[in-house]
Amino acid sequence: MTTDTGTAPATSTIRSKGALIPFQASSGGVMLLIVAAMAFLACFALAGALATTRIAATWTDGLAGQATVRVDATEDDRARRISLVLDILRDTEGIVDARALSERDVADLLTPWFGGTPDLGELPAPGIVAVTLDPLDEPDPSVVQARLDGASAGAIYDDHGRWRNRAARAARAIGSLSWWALGLTIAAIAGAVFLVVSIAMSAHRGTIEALRLSGAEDRFVANLYQKRFFWLGGLGGLIGSGLAFAAFAGLDALASVRAALPMLDAPYYWPLAWAGIVIACGGIALLAARLAVMTTLRHRG
Amino acid sequence: MIQFENVGFRYKRGPEVLQNVDLEIPAGSFQFITGASGAGKSSLLRMLYLDAEPSSGRISLFGRDVTTLTRDEIAWFRRRIGVVFQDFRLLDHLSAAENVALPLTVAGVRESAYRDNVTEMLHWVGLGDKMDVRPPELSGGEKQRVAIARAVVASPDIILADEPTGSVDPAMAERIMALFVEMNRLGKTVLVASHDLAMIEQHKLPINTLQGGTVVVGTPKKRRSA
Repeated sequence: MTTDTGTAPATSTIRSKGALIPFQASSGGVMLLIVAAMAFLACFALAGALATTRIAATWTDGLAGQATVRVDATEDDRARRISLVLDILRDTEGIVDARALSERDVADLLTPWFGGTPDLGELPAPGIVAVTLDPLDEPDPSVVQARLDGASAGAIYDDHGRWRNRAARAARAIGSLSWWALGLTIAAIAGAVFLVVSIAMSAHRGTIEALRLSGAEDRFVANLYQKRFFWLGGLGGLIGSGLAFAAFAGLDALASVRAALPMLDAPYYWPLAWAGIVIACGGIALLAARLAVMTTLRHRG
Repeated sequence: MIQFENVGFRYKRGPEVLQNVDLEIPAGSFQFITGASGAGKSSLLRMLYLDAEPSSGRISLFGRDVTTLTRDEIAWFRRRIGVVFQDFRLLDHLSAAENVALPLTVAGVRESAYRDNVTEMLHWVGLGDKMDVRPPELSGGEKQRVAIARAVVASPDIILADEPTGSVDPAMAERIMALFVEMNRLGKTVLVASHDLAMIEQHKLPINTLQGGTVVVGTPKKRRSA
């Protein structure tokens, strides 16, 4: 090929393809702010979800394997009936141990309601038997109750099942809300990225057209956006989650949340969790950007 | 290589601007398309560089019916077609060299591999000293030459040019046409759309005239005298 001015050596550096799309710094700043705010909220939603899950487990595990028998009897007959109940319980499959609480123990249980140390002689307090159950083979409460009734022990068996179930249901409901909040936050990040990319693509219409007419495949165009929004998402996640972790670590008011979160109890998990959130934010932004580009290009035809 | 069979074209739901177009352009040939403004020259080229689909008929390119191409195949076909647009379609935020390198960049060629090629191409079109200049700082003729360099830098099989001499002086127009002739000598199929009959007749090459929405062979003047 001939040249009219002669072929000069290549001295200039031709820029890489990273600069092919003229991204506006201002839109990047807005995106960063949105992702950082969402990541901050996502950390709290995640903390809430993990905390309630742990609380639910603590409540149900704490009460599991235990039961109580209340023995209603006059003071004269109480010892006999308690002894009868203990014999029945110890002879029941699935019960590991049964122990009658002393008057002192019963008084301690009633203290929160009556204040000071109540005089049980003046109160119609029942006899209480604490029962330890085999966690792998808990007896059917109705069977135990039937045996007690059969012996006319005047005793009521309670395996705390109703309380356990209600407490666990309540904790699970709160946990579900937290997971939903986390999901919505993720969806909000994805939606914001999708919207910003779609708007940016309208502004870059001429550039994208030139790229496509030069032979660029859809994925080539998508890669240009993906890369930018991955880094913006990751940086936003780093800032937002960094602020959230600082809050977890620094605020005394959140001590109970910290106590409920295994990852916060053990600081060596922190970098791992932090990195996970940052990568998740970048990944969500990347996927949303790709979806936005592919959708827009296919829509344009 | 390029075959139009009974092709029609319309913009959305408007009337057909092209009807019953039959055209065959063999590989390695150099042909002109001419016609009055609005005759459909640009529409015909748009179908050729796969930016528009025919409303009827069949277009065959490299032996394939273009309406059956997938999106990835369209991109791949476009890499085999260099286009000089009437409005240049240069990217203002990129330098002249970056604009020229665009087809190579999107094809995944490394900068180190194409740097010399791009530099040589810009010298070839007489813009070796304007590699780092951006299009807004270039004249119409200079933009035109950057667009030509971009169209040929990846060594495509087909070169399409829409009014490539429309915004340059006669001397520059001659030089641009000489570039196309040289590309044709290298084996490229060249199709130039222009309404400049004087320039077209100088070259003694096959002419396709768009008239009444369809293609007739020969220049309007020759047909009148026939």
